[in-house]
Amino acid sequence: MNVKSLIRHETLLALLLVVVLIVLSFQSDRFFTVDNLLNQGRLMTEIGLIAIAMTFVIATGGIDLSVGSILGLTAILTGVFWQNVGLPLPVAATAAIAAGTFAGFVNGVIITRFRVPPLIATLATLALYRGLAEGISQARSVRGYPEWFYVLGQQDVLGVPTQLWILFFAAVVASIILAYTTWGRTVYAVGSNEVASRFSGLSVEKTKLALYTASGFAAAVAAVIFVSRVSTTRSDMGTGIELDAITAVVLGGTSIFGGRGTIVGTIIGLCLIQALKNGLSLAGVKGDGTIMLIGAVLILAILASNLFERSGTRT
Amino acid sequence: MSNPTAYVSLTGMSKSFGGVKVLKEVDFDVRPGEVHALLGENGAGKSTLIKMMSGLYTPDAGTIMVGGKEVKFSSTRDAAAVGIATVYQELLLFPELSVAENVFLGNYPRTALGIIDWAEVRRRTRDLLDQLDTYDLDVDAKVLSLSVAQRQRVEIAKALSKNARILIMDEPTASLVESDVQRLMMIVRQLRERGVGIVYVSHRMSEIFALADRVTVLRDGAHVATRDIGEVDENQLVSMMVGRSIESLFPKADATIGETVLRVTNLNHGRHVRDISFDLRRGEILGIAGLVGSGRTELALTLFGMTPATSGEIAMDGKVVRIGSPRQARDLGIAYVPEDRGQQGLVKSMAIRKNVSMATIERLSSGIFIKAGEEAQRALDAVKRLSIRCRNIGQPVGELSGGNQQKVVIAKWLETMPKVLILDEPTRGVDVGAKAEIHTIMGELVKQGVAIIMISSELPEVLGMSDRVLVISGGRITGEIARAEATPERVGAAMTAHRTGEAA
Repeated sequence: MNVKSLIRHETLLALLLVVVLIVLSFQSDRFFTVDNLLNQGRLMTEIGLIAIAMTFVIATGGIDLSVGSILGLTAILTGVFWQNVGLPLPVAATAAIAAGTFAGFVNGVIITRFRVPPLIATLATLALYRGLAEGISQARSVRGYPEWFYVLGQQDVLGVPTQLWILFFAAVVASIILAYTTWGRTVYAVGSNEVASRFSGLSVEKTKLALYTASGFAAAVAAVIFVSRVSTTRSDMGTGIELDAITAVVLGGTSIFGGRGTIVGTIIGLCLIQALKNGLSLAGVKGDGTIMLIGAVLILAILASNLFERSGTRT
Repeated sequence: MSNPTAYVSLTGMSKSFGGVKVLKEVDFDVRPGEVHALLGENGAGKSTLIKMMSGLYTPDAGTIMVGGKEVKFSSTRDAAAVGIATVYQELLLFPELSVAENVFLGNYPRTALGIIDWAEVRRRTRDLLDQLDTYDLDVDAKVLSLSVAQRQRVEIAKALSKNARILIMDEPTASLVESDVQRLMMIVRQLRERGVGIVYVSHRMSEIFALADRVTVLRDGAHVATRDIGEVDENQLVSMMVGRSIESLFPKADATIGETVLRVTNLNHGRHVRDISFDLRRGEILGIAGLVGSGRTELALTLFGMTPATSGEIAMDGKVVRIGSPRQARDLGIAYVPEDRGQQGLVKSMAIRKNVSMATIERLSSGIFIKAGEEAQRALDAVKRLSIRCRNIGQPVGELSGGNQQKVVIAKWLETMPKVLILDEPTRGVDVGAKAEIHTIMGELVKQGVAIIMISSELPEVLGMSDRVLVISGGRITGEIARAEATPERVGAAMTAHRTGEAA
């Protein structure tokens, strides 16, 4: 019953995506072109990477609100390590990613060691990491990165934006992990019933710690791609990106209470949001109208999947 | 089949969930001033039937007559309006509110000004509780501070506050200790005197014979029989329930008792595990008896590493070990089938296959990948070996009956090849048929040399299955009684024994 309803949700969502793509391509002839679609793929990579890690986090019944701030912090550190400290750029970026990953690890420690609910813990670090980013940057932006660095964010490999390859690779690896490994199994078990998981000898704490660390890592990688894409570093980068990522995950059928969710769903959810954003703006709809529509789609998708699920399961 | 003397009568009730017919044209009625017992194995359709009577489910077919008029319930409110109230197994009170607030919730008497008349609420709650001979319960106490038995009385008071004419009680004694059971039975009799019709769902035969006027048996969603209690005996009821006769309830298998596998010396944890010492040998069933809250479960949790010991020594096969987590316990060969199946034992939304492999998932993997074929094969074997009744191994465990769920938990732990298997209330909420099967499984395990610690509130079970009985009270061992000398009196006396020496 469970697997069936999952497939149903994703099929439903995929159908919706197709409908949206068709409708939007009629609205503007600039929408359904290879160039535009690839460019949209470029734009959604950062949210996508974060959303993939977020799928795991939410599937355990947790949440990570601090990813936007980790993104900002990593971006700033990349710039500072490179320009102010004088490290070579690859080293600077790696060090910054390590710092972002560590920020995620700190979230994990707060949540597993001190038993702070994830919502509270990451709400606190959302403020903490953003403040840190702003403090380090002193409102200065870093520019003038070397040309080769833009390969990551602005150029193509085999005709496809570089970062889209990264997203694709990450999605495939994450799908495999979630579906076929002991780790993925633990994620679902913890999300469905944490107590029983502990009573079954699963390493609940270790898994959670790893997840929040991975979430920090994903946000950090997204930060470097972001910097490369926009050629500059600012401390307010990634503000609000956590909400976009969570929207994609939830739209993709992951239960906010845990225990349910797939990477495929998240990716479809992500595409749907990006298509709506871009298509509507090309069709001349204003920004606030787009946001409202995304909100409406989210509610409808959840209602529809709840309806499907309710028919045929007993309480 | 509508009975002129019945207050409520249901005819031809049918209900399906997702294509599965769980109730097939069942007739049932309740007369004022009778106790009508509803019997059946888990999954026989009892819950579904009472949920339709209380307005929680709408029947697919069938009619409900109340006081001679046909009614349709679209919510529990409709059923309450005609005087049908239900005391559910999982009590539905608000723990943060007081007793009085809970009793009149949604139904508060008001003053002329339309403000809740708290004095009246408290006075009437007091009245209702006094009617139930519950003089000792404070109407201002928060519900969370009450025992299960007290909460149940609050629920009954709540039903009475709405002038219930029919009271449905779903396994009311499932989590009560013996003295509370007696008290509850007195209350039920009193209500009957006052003309309330009572639907009494229970697995316990002794209660049914002590209380019921009539009994209805359901099996596989169908009505088997409705009889006056005088016309049937226990064996007949059991065979009606399971559709076959059960030879004996406690098939104690004789196993060879071997060398000591577990030795516990002066074990302590908090207030509930105090200075516990005992030995456990291969092939032995060690029964642990004690009242709820005596520290039985806490002892198990300490042995299992959930709440690691603060002092004392545990030795497995003569080697002193430290058990700091369930994982370590598992690796040492200790398995624990917990008391709370739904919360601690199973991930209900997950498939049987995944639940069976949960404690052994690392062993079933090569590298990080789960060997799906082997996992499925092991689950299939377990389903066969323990005769778990299910559609297939992909079925979510939550859809199984209580007994089959319990067998899945046992299967999960047998996968770890335990040397010591701790079973905490292994047959609670399990029907007679599955209970006998679980006991048979225990017998087979001890024959293979597994040592079993069985914690049970049911004295006949402890006495029937154990080679030796440890009695615990106040966190301490107050008696160690060999099988030959274990009588209900001796064990019962030790269960309530006051500890010598220091005070609690």
